[in-house]
Amino acid sequence: MKNKKNLYTLISIVLVFLFLVYANKNFDSYQIRIMNLCAIYVILGLSMNLINGFTGLFSLGHAGFMAIGAYTTAILTMPLAVKESNFFLAPMAAPLNSIVWPFVPALLLGGLLSAAAAFVIGAPALRLKGDYLAIATLGFGEIIRILITNAQRVTNGALGLKGIPDTTNIWWTFGIAALTIVFMTLLINSSYGRAFKAIREDEIAAENMGISLFKHKMLAFIIGAFFAGIGGGLLGSLLGTVDPKPFNFMMTFNILFIIVLGGMGSITGTVISAFIVTISMEALRVLDSSINLGFMVIPGITGMRMVIYSLLLIVVIIYFRRGLMGTSEFSWDKAFEFFKRLPLSKGGAKNAVTKNK
Amino acid sequence: MPLLKTNNVTMQFGGLTAVNDFNLELNDGEIIALIGPNGAGKTTAFNVITGVYKPTKGNIRFNEQDITGLRPDQITNKGIARTFQNIRLFKDLSVLDNVLIANHLNVKSNFLEASFKLPRYNKEERIMREKSLALLEKVGLVDLRNEKSSSLPYGKQRRLEIARALATNPKILLLDEPAAGMNPKETEDLTLFIKQIRDEFNLTIFMIEHHMQVVMGISDRIYVFDYGVTIAQGTPHEIQNNPKVIEAYLGVSEDA
Amino acid sequence: MTFDMLLQHMLNGVSLGSLYALIAIGYTMVYGILRLINFAHGEIFMMSTYFAFFGIATFKMPWYVVFVLAILLTGALGMTAERVAYRPLRDAPKISILISAIGVSYFIQNLSIVLFSGRPKAFPQIELFTGMLKMGNIYVQRLTFIIPVVTAVLLAALIYLISHTKNGIAMRAVAKDHETAKLMGIDVNKTIALTFGIGSMLAAVGGIMWGLKFPQIAPAMGIMPGLKCFIAAVLGGIGSISGAVIGGFVLGLGEIMLVASLPDLTGYRDAFAFVLLILILLFKPTGIMGEKISEKV
Repeated sequence: MKNKKNLYTLISIVLVFLFLVYANKNFDSYQIRIMNLCAIYVILGLSMNLINGFTGLFSLGHAGFMAIGAYTTAILTMPLAVKESNFFLAPMAAPLNSIVWPFVPALLLGGLLSAAAAFVIGAPALRLKGDYLAIATLGFGEIIRILITNAQRVTNGALGLKGIPDTTNIWWTFGIAALTIVFMTLLINSSYGRAFKAIREDEIAAENMGISLFKHKMLAFIIGAFFAGIGGGLLGSLLGTVDPKPFNFMMTFNILFIIVLGGMGSITGTVISAFIVTISMEALRVLDSSINLGFMVIPGITGMRMVIYSLLLIVVIIYFRRGLMGTSEFSWDKAFEFFKRLPLSKGGAKNAVTKNK
Repeated sequence: MPLLKTNNVTMQFGGLTAVNDFNLELNDGEIIALIGPNGAGKTTAFNVITGVYKPTKGNIRFNEQDITGLRPDQITNKGIARTFQNIRLFKDLSVLDNVLIANHLNVKSNFLEASFKLPRYNKEERIMREKSLALLEKVGLVDLRNEKSSSLPYGKQRRLEIARALATNPKILLLDEPAAGMNPKETEDLTLFIKQIRDEFNLTIFMIEHHMQVVMGISDRIYVFDYGVTIAQGTPHEIQNNPKVIEAYLGVSEDA
Repeated sequence: MTFDMLLQHMLNGVSLGSLYALIAIGYTMVYGILRLINFAHGEIFMMSTYFAFFGIATFKMPWYVVFVLAILLTGALGMTAERVAYRPLRDAPKISILISAIGVSYFIQNLSIVLFSGRPKAFPQIELFTGMLKMGNIYVQRLTFIIPVVTAVLLAALIYLISHTKNGIAMRAVAKDHETAKLMGIDVNKTIALTFGIGSMLAAVGGIMWGLKFPQIAPAMGIMPGLKCFIAAVLGGIGSISGAVIGGFVLGLGEIMLVASLPDLTGYRDAFAFVLLILILLFKPTGIMGEKISEKV
């Protein structure tokens, strides 16, 4: 049975791979961009779920960590000529104006700097609990954004950076998303993952079982920030431009929505929900822009998309608090069970009857 | 030297003195009970010993080391484990996970070794699984290891809490009302069980309990609290005949 | 810095501080009773300015009628938000209700983009409030004096309400313990709704005066004051009304003085509040006037 399950897993991986090959060849650039966004949101969702869902820390500073990753990757990978044309108000600070790094080291450094920022922020903030932590991390996220806006000679301030090399493609985003899924799954199922969940369930009991709250909260916070930095770096490279504006609370809100919908504390849920949210977010874009039907034009309503989103968030949290998956994960056994229970399948009905006896 | 000794430990909350000049001595291998009416400050005394609260005054020595003001996790690491009056299991997690978590303090591997399942971690994981299953076997929960801990009946939850505390390898075990909500049969079993784990794990046990049957049956010595003050201490026999204790429990009669 | 400039900045700081105080009271009252950061409070504040704007600019009603209507409507909005998005989650984990609050905040903000467009609107100027007074060598808006006076009057009324009326006592009882308050015959839901109503109406007074003082209103205008006033509430000691007022003044004065004395830091003006928040959380998490709330073990 175990071999069989491994086989299924292998087949699924091959199928996903083949789909990506197909998509890469046949999808248009807009569709590929959405695919890339989906994968990046998987990374971002998982990174936030580790902190908020698995460890139970209500942190709202994610956009700040992403900004650090995005700016680091952008600044380090931009060709010198592009740097010069970007920084027309004030020249870029040395030595940044004369170095160009390859993509991977730049991305990694983005993750590491973001993790370092998490360490600095976490040292005071993780002593706080619940909503105090939420507001403090939100504040730190804003401080990071304000610092970036004011560091004219490093980040080009409010003008942002344009012409970031578009190294990102489907293989980078899905490759890194896959690595993130694998790493998070392994981490969560290790003794450290259990310690994180213990903290989420009951801090006082966890601490009395010998788990250092500060050390483990910090660990989850730093690892989460690392992946948020990586996700931010990929995002910058996908969009080709970064500026401080989008890294506001709205960005954190989007990722929060993904993990709430997927289930706080479920890797499977986050992955599924990252795809659903990203794709539907794009699909709902029609609400914001006008639609030309040939014979008539339906005017778009700016903001309508976010109205629907925020409404959905409230509905999900009130009526489906556990989201799609709660804290459960995908397994082949559960998948078979699910298909057997579908009324259309004959085996299912029979099975149900025999089970009842 | 006693294994654990508190010197004039006092805990105040604002104007309220919940524990007043508490002088506890626990010797190796003893079973000691702390009794007293509700609100007498017994659980607060536990919370001070386990580091949940820092005492306002006094100090706590364990194994000839000053442990006053250490964090709960540090104190557990030194060898003092506890259960809770209002059961604090990791509700959403399985019975086995609850016990495994209490083994985490002995994990030497870092998170990368653990995530990538490197040999050192694999060995640690195997050992902690074996140990946890053995503990669950001991408390009779091994068949329920994959159940959600919150789905267990009350009495079994209490046993799971004890198993979890034992998994931290304690020298001293603090039990906060272990027999609360148990029927007479369960209470009797529990009394035997406490003795049994004391012998098997070389424990010293300090417990808060209201069931006099348990307290008088297994305690070597008893401390009696009233309004945070230690009004009596001694053997079960001495305590049963102490007028102050009778007074605290039954109130003073007018003509006495 | 000349004495006149100093005076000017002081006056600005006091009036900004009074506005912060009015908004911070709403946070502190709701937190005191529900242990919830009402993320939507900044948006409720924003809506009050739109209510006033439409009353005056579109419906051409006299300003005093509009102000009363706007305050009442804002109170109703706050109570509706509580009824729809918070009450169903009363027994849910705290994180759920916080997420719901974030949802409400974004819902109101985006709905107002849809309804009123994202472009800022010019808030009507009312000579009685916005006219200038000459004080020695400086000119000061009348509002600069009106705002602190209004704040002081409302604060006195609120303190009277909380300490001397039946509803006020019910509020304090519910803040201490929902269950016990219920057993004592207090209608907990009604009391919570009333708390939201009062908090929102105070925010509305703040919002209208904000609109007069900074006459440009936009759907996103509630975010920063919202966050800052929450910080003011934490600074003063969350749950304490006098604390919220002190916090509001510290923040308002501090911000103005910082920018006035160190103009190089103007870009960091908004960061000041957050730095202050983090410092207070580190060194005195209960705030200036707050009491310690610890979990029972």
